Amino acid sequence: MKTNTSYLWAVLVGLLGLTSCDNTTVEVQEPLKNDLLKKTTGPAVIGTRVEFVYAIGATEGNLQNVKAEASIAGAKGTGFSGFSWFTDRATGVDKPLLTASDTITNGAVSTAKIIDVNNKAVSLRYFYAVPEEARGQTFSVKFSGTSSAGKEVTISSPTYQVSKMDMSRLIVLEDAKKAYFSIADMTAYTKEEVDQKNLSGKIDFVYVYRPTISTYAFGHAMVSLANKSYINDLALPAAWTKAATKLDKRVDIRDAQLRGGGFDSYIDDIDLQQTTFPNAADYAYGFAADQGAFVTSADGTYVAYIFVNAVNNTAKTMTVSIKRLKIK
Amino acid sequence: MTKAFFHKILFLVSTVLFFGACTDQPVDPDGLLITGRSQCYMSFFDLLGSDHRTVLVSGTTVIDTVAQTVKAVARFGTNLQRVKPYSSVVTDALVEPKMGVWVDFSKPMEYTVISGNRQIRKKYTVTVTVQQ
Repeated sequence: MKTNTSYLWAVLVGLLGLTSCDNTTVEVQEPLKNDLLKKTTGPAVIGTRVEFVYAIGATEGNLQNVKAEASIAGAKGTGFSGFSWFTDRATGVDKPLLTASDTITNGAVSTAKIIDVNNKAVSLRYFYAVPEEARGQTFSVKFSGTSSAGKEVTISSPTYQVSKMDMSRLIVLEDAKKAYFSIADMTAYTKEEVDQKNLSGKIDFVYVYRPTISTYAFGHAMVSLANKSYINDLALPAAWTKAATKLDKRVDIRDAQLRGGGFDSYIDDIDLQQTTFPNAADYAYGFAADQGAFVTSADGTYVAYIFVNAVNNTAKTMTVSIKRLKIK
Repeated sequence: MTKAFFHKILFLVSTVLFFGACTDQPVDPDGLLITGRSQCYMSFFDLLGSDHRTVLVSGTTVIDTVAQTVKAVARFGTNLQRVKPYSSVVTDALVEPKMGVWVDFSKPMEYTVISGNRQIRKKYTVTVTVQQ
């Protein structure tokens, strides 16, 4: 009898425990909701666009207008896209669907009108073109939307850091032609241009393609004008400034922004700030696509990462993209 | 019966813990175990460039454990002033100064292999030349 009573108590305590865990709360369904997703994973570099997805849905009435207000007015290209995207179940390919019209950007404010009166939920793309005014600062975007039921919702993004560095893509270097590269200008010049415009002081390296030197493989190379081993055949004018740029080759840094996609790894300000060049060479050679080099100008004004997008042995060209940070 | 069984188990566990706690293997300042091994030699050597790829010409590295020398040839164009050495040594041995850091190999470098019992020290001279 005593044992039975103990079991009974145990069962009662168990039931009490179970019922005490029942703590369900029912949220009141809001008639208009919104949410936000930042799609761009890379750093916000001047001249690039940061992509957001703004989602909004209504249970009462229909969606009417959406608005995005950036803390710093975006550059040209800022605004909503009129298209939502869905994945085709048969092919797995994302397809656009026109869901908004009147996509207008005026200063820091972008607006769009949801065109389908029966639209109960849409997700619109908003692109923020990073402006020069935002360099080194932070920005955020406040999104809002309205429905025909007279409701309004808002959501603000976190703040995002804008990089101080510059970026330039797909610069074609040609051996013996547009081969003289200036990090300051992020431009390649011919020998004649350097001579005529007196640019030698701005030239950080010259691109050369030599399949072999002294029977050894050499290939596509970036060589500082101060180098005395690999560009003797260029016969550079004696009057030229020949700065000893430092170059440090890498084969495993595939910046997605410089490359144009493919890998979710990025070089940001901090990488260029913290890279050091102890005993670095004044040349780097044997480049292939997807490789690159950290480069610092002779006076230390700039640090850059130069990514090799493509090489062409026949045309003797090397296509490069650059991220550059002014240190001094 | 059950109580006695638990007492036996408790005694066994306590014994194991007691003797385990008494283990007191000596370690060096880096926390590496000092063992009884007296073997002392380098068995492999490599040199990496700034791109973390080997700069040595395959098959040219010669390690003489009697003369205590390493001779290697780096590829044409290698910047020997910024390279990172790596080596393998016999079990439990270590190398001083530590490898795996950027060093200037434009002149011969000396590394000391120290045996597992830390009693034997052999100084290796590593010489790297570049293809010319």
